[in-house]
Amino acid sequence: MRMAEDAVEVRRLRRVFRGRRKSPGVAALDSVDLVIPAGEVHGLLGPNGAGKTTLCKILATVLLPTSGHASVGGHDVVRETAAVRRIIGIVFGGERGLYTRLTARQNLEFWAAMYGLRGRTLRLRVDAMLSQIGLTERADDRVEGFSRGMKQRLHLARGLIGDPQVVLLDEPTTGMDPVAAREFRTLVGELRDDGRTVLLTTHDMAEAEAVCDRVTLIDNGRLLATERPAALSSWISTYSRVDARDVPAERVPQLICELRDIPGVAGVRAIQPSGIRVETDVADAAPQVIRHLLDSGINSVATSTPDLEEVYLHIIGERGLRVSR
Amino acid sequence: MNALAAGFTFEVRLLRRSFDEMMVLVTAPLMTLIFLSITEHAGRTDLAPYAVLAPALIALWTIALFTSGEIIERERQNGSLEPLVATPVAIGGVITGQILAVTLLSLVGFAESWLAAWAVFGIVVPIVHPTAFAAALVATAFAMAGTASVMSSVFVLSRSVRAYQNSLSYPFFVLGGVMVPVALLPEWIEPLSRVVFLSWSADVLRDSLTPEPVTSLVARLGVILALGATGFLVGLVLLRRAVDRLRRTGTIGFA
Repeated sequence: MRMAEDAVEVRRLRRVFRGRRKSPGVAALDSVDLVIPAGEVHGLLGPNGAGKTTLCKILATVLLPTSGHASVGGHDVVRETAAVRRIIGIVFGGERGLYTRLTARQNLEFWAAMYGLRGRTLRLRVDAMLSQIGLTERADDRVEGFSRGMKQRLHLARGLIGDPQVVLLDEPTTGMDPVAAREFRTLVGELRDDGRTVLLTTHDMAEAEAVCDRVTLIDNGRLLATERPAALSSWISTYSRVDARDVPAERVPQLICELRDIPGVAGVRAIQPSGIRVETDVADAAPQVIRHLLDSGINSVATSTPDLEEVYLHIIGERGLRVSR
Repeated sequence: MNALAAGFTFEVRLLRRSFDEMMVLVTAPLMTLIFLSITEHAGRTDLAPYAVLAPALIALWTIALFTSGEIIERERQNGSLEPLVATPVAIGGVITGQILAVTLLSLVGFAESWLAAWAVFGIVVPIVHPTAFAAALVATAFAMAGTASVMSSVFVLSRSVRAYQNSLSYPFFVLGGVMVPVALLPEWIEPLSRVVFLSWSADVLRDSLTPEPVTSLVARLGVILALGATGFLVGLVLLRRAVDRLRRTGTIGFA
């Protein structure tokens, strides 16, 4: 099936979950705009309750938006559900959703039938998927005996069994061991090579950096930024961090005062053991900080470049584990 | 058709591994023995067909109520309703296939009941009109599946499924005339019972066990089939509405 130029298009999408009676409800998505070109692996990064799963569910046609527009492959997710469902595959996170008393093969046979496969075509497709996720040898074992990682791989196979053009992966590596997670990244690469579009929600920064062409940061139902992982990192290259080690304890307070006076220094604080951390918010501030530290006789100095996690924390803020309403 | 077959095959596989869902089939022959004990000790050997047929019909209804009726809710609690709705399949076809599988397996209760009567009391209830009996059995299974499809769509939207299920058992055993023919009940009950397919089924099945000819067989089978078809139709409409409501409220994946 030929895909529209943009595999996913979301305009001013809003979803409010109403409480009981007269409660105003919670906006899980608020005026969200997002375009994902066909063939892109797109990451959706955000804390719990940010709206990632809500967006996935709306695109998967299992949740209706309150207002706004969303389409997949050029098909409206509200009015053209049948057309959308023919081209998507979805993997929700967690262990639920599998028939644990059936074998892996029986699970996949059922889901393959749900995509209209039958007979020899169905069997070949199921065998191919079992091989692709490395479960061929356990194909005829009941799923209830599987590890969490194996179940997650089976979830992946279920999502891909219909040969979808757009794959929605909602935290697909939850519970996978590092080896399986690495294989998953390879699998996503293969999906990209096949020309499929992937929307991947994750908490794992390394995963998003490793597999995504672009990443969207989401929090409180609003999209904060959409960029390539490297570009997002460059955003806060101005927020470089300089760590000084082995600073004599009696000099720490004085040095902190001096460093705060350097233009472009956003914050200075003591770190254990016997060190100082300097955060800058201007591109050329870090060299000045380093020079000052060296001139002050502090020779153990290190700078670090931000990874996606730091971008994430800078933009989302440091509200820890709190789930906002 | 593919959806129907897939749902049927899937449910058979699932039930093979989840026999607890069909536990009623363990108690049905015991109920046969209880009913037969009463009729035999009362010296009413002529009521043996009633005593044998009633537990089988009760098993059929109970399994529809507690197993078929919970099929959609079971998918929802398992977390598989969400991905199922997201597939291009006609979900009504899949659920109907599953309900048909459960209903067909619940017919085992008839064989069990007959066997229990023979094995313990040495009573063989002859099927005097086998064609009528078989036709009534098929029509009954069809109508039971149709009624179960209504139940499953209603139950998925209910917050107190157990209360509904319990309230839909004994009143329907009475209205369905499964042990006591409706004709023997107070007159005002009859109009109510005539919209319950089970009352027609019980009457035809009992008639096929007696030497007298089964009168108006085609018309009575027609009523059973019509009530069953109505059930399927209402069930499919309710299923569509239930899924739409779950999509609207965002509770399709809630356990």
